[in-house]
Amino acid sequence: MTARLAASAALRPVLSVVLALGMVALGLLLLGYPPLPALGALASGAFGSSAAWTATLLKASPLLLTGLAVALSFRCGVWNIGAEGQLYAGALAATAVATRLLPGAPVAVLAPLMTIAGAAGGALLAAIAGALRAVRGVSEVISTILLNFVAIQAVALAVHGPLQEASRAYPQSDALPAAALLPAFGRVHLGVAIAVALAFAVHLLIFRTALGFRMRAVGLSPVAARFAGISPEGHALVSIAIAGALAGLAGAFEVAGVTERLYEGLSPGYGYTAIAVALLARLNPLAALPAALFFGALEAGAGAMQRTAGVPSVVTQIVQGLVILVFVAIPFEGRRPPLPGTPPDGAP
Amino acid sequence: MHVLLGLVRPDTGRLEIAGRELDLASYSPGAALRAGVGMVHQHSTLVPAMTVPENIALAAVDGSILFRRARVRARVARLAEQYALDVPLDVPVAQLSVGQRQRAEILRTLERGARVIVLDEPTAALTPAETHALFPGLRRLRDAGSAIVFISHKLEEIEGLADRVAVLRRGVLVAVKGAREADARELGSLMLGRDLPGLVRPPAVQRAEVVPAFALRDLEAPGLREASRLKGVSLAVKAGEIVGVAGIDGNGQRELEEVLAGVRPMTAGRIEVAGRPVAPGVRSLRAAGVSHLSGERERGGLVAGFTIAENLILKSSYDDPRFFRGGLLELDPARQYARGVMQRFGIEPADPDLDIATLSGGNAQKVAVARELDARPRVLVAVNPTRGLDVGSARFVNEQLLALRSEGGAVLLVSTELDEVLLLADRVVALVEGRVVSVPRDADRAALGAILLSGAAKSAVA
Repeated sequence: MTARLAASAALRPVLSVVLALGMVALGLLLLGYPPLPALGALASGAFGSSAAWTATLLKASPLLLTGLAVALSFRCGVWNIGAEGQLYAGALAATAVATRLLPGAPVAVLAPLMTIAGAAGGALLAAIAGALRAVRGVSEVISTILLNFVAIQAVALAVHGPLQEASRAYPQSDALPAAALLPAFGRVHLGVAIAVALAFAVHLLIFRTALGFRMRAVGLSPVAARFAGISPEGHALVSIAIAGALAGLAGAFEVAGVTERLYEGLSPGYGYTAIAVALLARLNPLAALPAALFFGALEAGAGAMQRTAGVPSVVTQIVQGLVILVFVAIPFEGRRPPLPGTPPDGAP
Repeated sequence: MHVLLGLVRPDTGRLEIAGRELDLASYSPGAALRAGVGMVHQHSTLVPAMTVPENIALAAVDGSILFRRARVRARVARLAEQYALDVPLDVPVAQLSVGQRQRAEILRTLERGARVIVLDEPTAALTPAETHALFPGLRRLRDAGSAIVFISHKLEEIEGLADRVAVLRRGVLVAVKGAREADARELGSLMLGRDLPGLVRPPAVQRAEVVPAFALRDLEAPGLREASRLKGVSLAVKAGEIVGVAGIDGNGQRELEEVLAGVRPMTAGRIEVAGRPVAPGVRSLRAAGVSHLSGERERGGLVAGFTIAENLILKSSYDDPRFFRGGLLELDPARQYARGVMQRFGIEPADPDLDIATLSGGNAQKVAVARELDARPRVLVAVNPTRGLDVGSARFVNEQLLALRSEGGAVLLVSTELDEVLLLADRVVALVEGRVVSVPRDADRAALGAILLSGAAKSAVA
């Protein structure tokens, strides 16, 4: 039996991070890089100074919001791979409000409206996938991936066209008006704090509300949920729309707190890494806090590792992949949360 | 059985087949196969799109990489002939009946050279006639020198078939007896660990009401297949009455269950509770006092991964302020409530935070029964309520149905187990090809079986 090897469910994420880092250290050794200085440079690039912390938090924040989006929809049995596109849709909507619709509005008007627009943009894009599934039975795995392309190219189109800056010099939007920018402490903007607060809010939503109860029931057993009067299609739609709103917020905060403009390639794949964040957190919103911080640290420390230790920064992407592979490979005791691979079974 | 098949390695002990001790350290499914152990699983493990010879060739151990269709077919046909295991060989398995699939599985184990054949609850999904068709083949196998392990909780089958009976209870072999020395009653109490007195069925209470508590009027609903489409189902159940709907799977049971649970739309007809029509839909049916005990506990009744407490409040999420107030889930009251319910219904271990998936089938069904009955229903629709349960849990469920009847509840019992229907119901009807067929009041098991099969015979001719 594998009982001896089985890790308790809570220990599994920690164990997989340690094992993955160990494997990468071994790989670095074989390639002729001294592993300890490399990992040390990675760590100090992520946490070694207040600037490093700032970089880590700014990377972790969108990872947290999109990770929450993925976790929330997975809990309801909706395999939402579209957080990346939803992030772009949110950034696009927020930028349109700030630079075209209400550029002169005071901060009290613009800041909330821009935030709402970001959430609504993500939610709308996600709702297309939810509605396609509810009405036509289209797999959301396919539709959300395809909608990612749509959203990413829509942003490209916008910054080459209607949203392009007045000078037409680069494919990017005008700088956001000052009233649209998020207040910040140093470079750490208010969106980071909101993301943390939302982790608690999503936790309450999933585990402490009637809606969350029903969404979990649908995720675990759509047939039993239907027999209990809970519509699997309706709840799948609601959950992916809320998820889209969270990812859309990540996009709005990115333009209003970090880049101050919209351009192509705004996200280095936050919405995809989000899936790793959600899985490592075992779809638990509070556990997404350290998970997002870990992946944010990898992103932030990669550059320092390359500069200081001469190790190519892509090594951190190997770490990202290994963590998840090790995570799913570790045998463990207890029940699996609903994860991809168990196809949703919603037929009556 | 998993030990015998090499799927689970035992901690201690020895395994001998035909007097030869097997090395347990290296015992594996492959070794079991080579030692001549074959299993017929409870649920079919055949590939539906392939014919029986193709399925058998899949598992062949003759070492050939070529599939010689004619040769395999001839060999299977010979085996089928030899052991009176009649199976159509040239149509996909998907078109075979459950009984035919089972015979095909037995053929597969024989083709692999099995000398020890394990059958796990082989009759669970068979009609009485199919069950009787299975037994001569098994006897012939026995006479030809095979050892057969026949796992069942149906005592009359064991009495009719077995030479020796072993009773397992909670992982302990409690008795081995010659079949002639053991009677059903003794076996039942051995299985349960205590004496199981006969089920006391209180006399029906005569009630004055003219309006039935629960009535179906000309229900029509689309079906998974033409035979299972509901074609004008009318039924009435009085308060304090159990009406049994007997039938063979696939004659509209599932469709009827889904309509009465509110998850399948009906195209015509209506459902009435105490004379008033009920709007279709899960919640309005439940609000009208109709409870539903699902025929598929694992899929339809309970949410695996939810705790016992969460399962007990599953159907309350829209309308029960005790557990859901202002859109919030009140976990502590739910746990408190669950503890009380578990105590009243004798569910152990009484821990409301246990994942329902960790419970035995019997205990899980008790949770489902407790949820439905604690809603104090006027009407209970119970579908195959004891399928797959041990004797003790089945008894518990039966007693609960009778208790509801004594309290004036109307029970519609939809079941493929004829004995259960005959034991519990005050009145029996049959569901044949989506239509209700009346059954004479004094019909016994054989007569009822004949009525159920009449539909099948008709469709075979048509």
